[in-house]
Amino acid sequence: MDLSLLLSQAMSGLSRGMMLFLIASGLSLIFGVMNILNFAHATLWLVGAYACYTFWFLLQAHGFAIWVAIPLAALCVALVGWIIEVVLIRRVYARELPEQLLLTYALVLILGDLIKITWGVEDKLIARPAMLADPVIIAGVPIDSYFIFVIAVGFAVYFALWWFLQKTRYGHIVRAAVFSREMVSALGIPIPIIYTGVFVMGIFIAGLAGAIQGPVGSVTLGMDMAIVIQAFCVVIIGGFGSLPGTLVSSIIVGEVYAFAILFWPGGALALIFILTAIVLIVRPWGLFGTPMRA
Amino acid sequence: MRTKSLLCIVAALALCLLVSSGSATQARAAEPYNLGVALAITGTGALYCQDGVDAIKLAVEEINAKGGFLGKHPIKLFVRDTHTKPDAAVRATRDLILRDKVRTVLGTYSSATAVAIKPVCQEYKVLHIPAISNSEGITLTNFSPYTYQVVPNSYMQAKAVVLGVAALAKKKGWKTFVTIASDYEWGRSTQQNTVALLKQMAPNLKLVKEFWPPLGETQFTSYITAIMAQKPDFVIGSIASKDNVAWMKQAKAYGFFKKIPYPGSLISVTELILQAKTLDRGLVGLCRAPFFAHLDIPMMANFVAAFKKKYNRYPSDWAVMEYDAVYVLKQGIEKAKSIDTEKVKAALKGATVATSRGNLYFRNIDNQLSCSSYLGVVADDPKYPFPIYHDLVEVKGPDSWRPEKEILAARAAEKKK
Repeated sequence: MDLSLLLSQAMSGLSRGMMLFLIASGLSLIFGVMNILNFAHATLWLVGAYACYTFWFLLQAHGFAIWVAIPLAALCVALVGWIIEVVLIRRVYARELPEQLLLTYALVLILGDLIKITWGVEDKLIARPAMLADPVIIAGVPIDSYFIFVIAVGFAVYFALWWFLQKTRYGHIVRAAVFSREMVSALGIPIPIIYTGVFVMGIFIAGLAGAIQGPVGSVTLGMDMAIVIQAFCVVIIGGFGSLPGTLVSSIIVGEVYAFAILFWPGGALALIFILTAIVLIVRPWGLFGTPMRA
Repeated sequence: MRTKSLLCIVAALALCLLVSSGSATQARAAEPYNLGVALAITGTGALYCQDGVDAIKLAVEEINAKGGFLGKHPIKLFVRDTHTKPDAAVRATRDLILRDKVRTVLGTYSSATAVAIKPVCQEYKVLHIPAISNSEGITLTNFSPYTYQVVPNSYMQAKAVVLGVAALAKKKGWKTFVTIASDYEWGRSTQQNTVALLKQMAPNLKLVKEFWPPLGETQFTSYITAIMAQKPDFVIGSIASKDNVAWMKQAKAYGFFKKIPYPGSLISVTELILQAKTLDRGLVGLCRAPFFAHLDIPMMANFVAAFKKKYNRYPSDWAVMEYDAVYVLKQGIEKAKSIDTEKVKAALKGATVATSRGNLYFRNIDNQLSCSSYLGVVADDPKYPFPIYHDLVEVKGPDSWRPEKEILAARAAEKKK
């Protein structure tokens, strides 16, 4: 087994992990701050992919189409997230978890049908940007250049979120709200606005991830359900509400999958779930979570 | 008093008789033929099925323009979504049969769903014509006399690939290979048949590793790097629909096809059209019913023209085969001179039918149509806005289907179980 092989497998695992991180980070953030388990998160991710297709389709004559389509799609999905928060989610903060789950699951079905009505049932194809069409050779190993872009975006999102939470006033407020919303509220800070902001931010990242997913394969109905379970696994392993936890567990899940394919191709997916089950049993609050939350 | 009520009863009875006989004659005059379609409008198979449904609609319009089947039974079409899931397909089929009262079910996409609805059709004595899903399991074991297969099955396709690949391997001195196949019924059966046949035809070829990505996989990078690490002489793939689109797109981004020959994987006309700009020219692909192979047959030429006129695009393999399915049914009904399912079933047994792919016949032992598989080299063609196959090899059904002896053996083994 040579080194270049391990490197190429590690890189493909990292790209897989980063794609998961982009989905799971918003999920984890929303749960950490608002205590809302948003089942519809991956469906909003899918909306991002479809929106990206529409913008790309309108602009495809230009070389920059995809670079404009991705942020526009993310903003669109953020707008949808804002509407959902104001109209629906806001009303269930105080309710029990099963009720929240039912509501967000209903959203999965509603959004799924809306996607069908808006974009039809045919698969949508987004051409890759020309500059990312050919592989990059690193240490003699070819690596898909688009996934290098994905990895870069993943780390950029991580550092942006980290900077926001650690270094800004609003970030401090959000972190304070995780621990005691009563205290934050008593200091005269309007909690509903903070919640709306966090929700929209989480959904924005989901939309961004979806838009970036667009050119990877084809955009199709049902893609969200295949990925949502893996995103939940990532969040469980990393610990709900922990940003570094989500990053680390995304990379773990991506790498475990990539190397399982190399050594035990049949059991790759099973291994992820076994890992999740072990974490749930041994450390239910996740690798980086705090027991208080569990 | 008594006579009066008796009279009333008699009068009522007479009235009932009159009404019922009246409606019966009316029904006989123009009884519609309810035709069911169970295809994947959503889910993995939607990409292929939309074309199939459009082609069925076209065929139905053409036949109805002449008064319907036998010129007097207008076709009423009922389309239900299988969601590409066996349980949903069974539900859709039951609804088609029990609520919509269909006499024939065209379907399905995904062999697992075809295998699931086969016994349902048999139970209710309804004809079942699969034209997209092609697992050999549909006709090999648990044989249903109501199922007529109009698509080359997985064994036939695998054998066609093997005939081509074995020749190529000899020519190029290939020794090792790897397989990648979607982890479900069709992927598994296609892969198994291909490997078994390759061993037969080219015994010195060695299978180094098998990869089984789950159905619905969106990111194949880890598979691609793992396969490239094996450095095989060639790769055999059995991945369909949107998974195939993702796989091809990502493998290409790794420069995969430039490094490792990938012969004989399913590149249907759908992929030729969808990936017109990006598909590597020179790939050796396999398909099931490319329209451009048979433009010399008037039925195909007319179909392509009509399809293009109505939908403003070229028909895929799936459209061709679903279109043929409707016309196979039409010829069965004409031969039976009746829309009675039992008579149509008997008429189709061993029948020779005119299809857009030429005159073909159903084999008695398994009701498999003697249709061809097609292999060719992807190349640009000035006549089309997408690449088509050049150096097209047509492997005829009777040259590629499983010998009857083996079918009997498989069924005997099944009985023993």
